[in-house]
Amino acid sequence: MAGRKRIFPRQKVCRFCTDKKLVIDYKEVRTLKNFVTERGKIIPRRIYGNCAKHQRKLTEAIKMARQIALMPYSGTTQY
Amino acid sequence: MRRYETIIIIRPNAGEDDIVAVTDRVTSIITGDGGTIIKSDRWGLKKLAYLIKKESQGYYIHIDYAGQPGSVTEIERILKIDDRCIKFMTVKLAAACDPAAVIAAMEAAAAARPTNQDEAIGEEDDVDSDDEDTEDDE
Repeated sequence: MAGRKRIFPRQKVCRFCTDKKLVIDYKEVRTLKNFVTERGKIIPRRIYGNCAKHQRKLTEAIKMARQIALMPYSGTTQY
Repeated sequence: MRRYETIIIIRPNAGEDDIVAVTDRVTSIITGDGGTIIKSDRWGLKKLAYLIKKESQGYYIHIDYAGQPGSVTEIERILKIDDRCIKFMTVKLAAACDPAAVIAAMEAAAAARPTNQDEAIGEEDDVDSDDEDTEDDE
């Protein structure tokens, strides 16, 4: 225990819980773009600390945006 | 009545007449079944995130409406046949919807917004006048 390096991660809070004005909508690609990698993969919630409820809504929105070609399934796109 | 929204992507080489024809066809199906159009919007020509039917661009149409479930199946049947439409998606927003109330709420929101815009414009004018002043000094 003594030799093990203990890391205390910074307390992350869900962006959507703190900012009520920020809505998750599949039509608003600008907000969704922050939560995918350059290659278009959805970033896991442990990175940004989203709450489970909002992460779930986010992934659904991203997948809907992909269906209607607003976001890529894979690969980069220039907007 | 349920609230739906449909996004239709039309081929970029289609003319203005084709776009109007498709929207009219869809809106006539909705109103024919006793539904109401809440908002019909054109996003214009957008770049697609991936190729659809060998097209890299598409003309987006967004229709927000309250209607019967039957009209959605009819719209989707028509769009599947239509060659001008390359992709479409319908999303159910609410299981129960009162179109009059929704439109009233939207109008209220729209009425609230222009005042803010006016203020913003007024502020911008002020900024512009300041700039002019500085230019005069120079």
